[in-house]
Amino acid sequence: MTRAVIFQDIYWVFWREFKKFTQQRARILMIVIQPLVWLVLMGNSMSGLTRNPAAMKMLGTGNYLEFMTPGIMIMTALFGGVFGGTTILWDRRLGFLHKMLSAPIHRAAIPLGKLMSIGLQTMLQALVIVIISLFLGVHFITGIPGVFCLLLISGLFGIIMGSISLSLAANLKSIETLMAISNFLTMPLMLTSNAMFPVNAMPVWLRAIANVNPLSYAVSAMRTIATQGWFFHQIWLPVVALLGIAMITIGVSVKMFYRSVS
Amino acid sequence: MNNIIEAVGLTKVFPGGLIAVNDISFSVEEGEIFGFLGPNGAGKSTTIAMLTTLIKPTRGMAKVTGIDIIKQPYQARLAIGYVSQDLAVEDALTGYENLKLQAGFYHIPKAEAVKRIAEVLTMVELTDRAKDKVETYSGGMRKRLDIACGLIHRPKLLFLDEPTLGLDIQTRREIWKYINHLREEIRMTIFMTTHYMDEADSLCDRIAIIDKGIIKTLDTPATLKGSLGNEIVEFTFSRGSSSDIETAIGHIKHLDFIEDIKFTEERGYMASVTNGESSVPAIFEAIHDFPVTIGSISHTQPSLDDVFLHYTGHEIREEKVDKESGFRNRMIMRRTRK
Ligand SMILES: Nc1ncnc2c1ncn2[C@@H]1O[C@H](COP(=O)(O)OP(=O)(O)O)[C@@H](O)[C@H]1O
Ligand SMILES: [Mg+2]
Repeated sequence: MTRAVIFQDIYWVFWREFKKFTQQRARILMIVIQPLVWLVLMGNSMSGLTRNPAAMKMLGTGNYLEFMTPGIMIMTALFGGVFGGTTILWDRRLGFLHKMLSAPIHRAAIPLGKLMSIGLQTMLQALVIVIISLFLGVHFITGIPGVFCLLLISGLFGIIMGSISLSLAANLKSIETLMAISNFLTMPLMLTSNAMFPVNAMPVWLRAIANVNPLSYAVSAMRTIATQGWFFHQIWLPVVALLGIAMITIGVSVKMFYRSVS
Repeated sequence: MNNIIEAVGLTKVFPGGLIAVNDISFSVEEGEIFGFLGPNGAGKSTTIAMLTTLIKPTRGMAKVTGIDIIKQPYQARLAIGYVSQDLAVEDALTGYENLKLQAGFYHIPKAEAVKRIAEVLTMVELTDRAKDKVETYSGGMRKRLDIACGLIHRPKLLFLDEPTLGLDIQTRREIWKYINHLREEIRMTIFMTTHYMDEADSLCDRIAIIDKGIIKTLDTPATLKGSLGNEIVEFTFSRGSSSDIETAIGHIKHLDFIEDIKFTEERGYMASVTNGESSVPAIFEAIHDFPVTIGSISHTQPSLDDVFLHYTGHEIREEKVDKESGFRNRMIMRRTRK
């Protein structure tokens, strides 16, 4: 099998996933409404609390919405990715997995194509959030290149969560169990990160957790880009860490997938 | 004639120790429709999964179109088509998009794919619905689309796992027509499974009866029915205590034209007889002196049901399946009933 063929196979798996995604009107509607609600409600209720010098110092910006937008982007990526594994369990249940496996496609193309679709979906969701936040008066200090980087980091994070979910799916039989585990994972990941609240405002023990939570890496790199500027010394380390984590989780998900179908 | 499938000692033991397929050997000739007939849980799908390289046999080997399924699974996949029992078409896509996807999975170049899609759509008579979403299709149309997917790479050998599962009788006949057409017009060899007697009888050139992972017998439907040799008399009693009936049956059993008597809940007593229709009055006469009365009695030619009963000792019936399989079966039913 040549290398060109696996890319072709990944493309077709991706094509199917993405095509299905674009057909789900209700889901797409939710993708627009959910961040809108979050940004409007949270932004309004918090802005009163944060319009004082001490809070502004902790947030790194005078606008809570600006502080929170990267957090919402990552939260959306988290939700988008963490249920990614369910698609493979549905494929198994509905027989489509066997259809793909009986075709002469490279087996790794199945998880990789799905991850590609998750990555692109997450980036599009992040773009929707950017557009909404622009309407709400959020200013992205690094402009269009900065926004593009925010999308890439969101996509990368979605892929990390997606590959963790796919690895779990490979070891589970039922969709319900995976949904339960995924639900269980998301809240603690969210609340022990800097997505919603500045690390400086946290008790020491929580701060310790937040500092090692990969979600925080993504958010701090994004927040720097969105609200401070191209401070590369604050950006490169979390991004490299995320890339490293992604390589590992993708590798594991492919391995686990192989094991589950052999 | 060449053998297009050759299986020797195929065995599948699932983790947990369940022996789903137990040391089966058979061969399929080029150009024939070969059927596996057996109840739910007999091991039909598991056999197909091994032959289509989806799972590895625990023991044994097989060749499809001359290719070893264990040593060259990739080549085997290219050579064969597989239509699962799951009705695995994508609801959210159109019929055309489903086929386009399948062509992509088989690395068929774009221009060629367009041609082939048109070709298989014509074959299953779905051309005018190709642009509609599959969720608007009937069960029969979905099945036809799924079969079309299995044909896109023009395989010489097609595996059809329970091709009419859950469909109503009219639609089932329609699917039979397409299956026959494949064999007659494009000389395709078809390996199919079914738990419908009439389907095996009217479609298959040869049948293997499989039960609990074992091939009980294998031959043409005519030979199988003929091999019972005898005709069947079915009867039930309307009067008589169970011990009296037992004594009467014991007596009947020893009449010289009776070969064998079986009892099933569904059909009552079934005697295989050597003297044709004259067995009916002869049975009446034989039990004349016993305190029992026959309620109903009929004389029939052996059917495939009788063959099945003869070789397996039970009627075809639902077996217990594990939870996930049960769930899958219900999903299939739900989709075919549309
Ligand atoms: N992946 C699996 N793991 C464990 N047991 C299985 C698996 N697939 C099938 N079985 C079991 O193997 C037996 C044969 O199943 P199957 O081949 O699907 O039967 P059929 O297709 O004839 O209805 C059944 O008892 C079924 O529950
Ligand atoms: Mg089956």
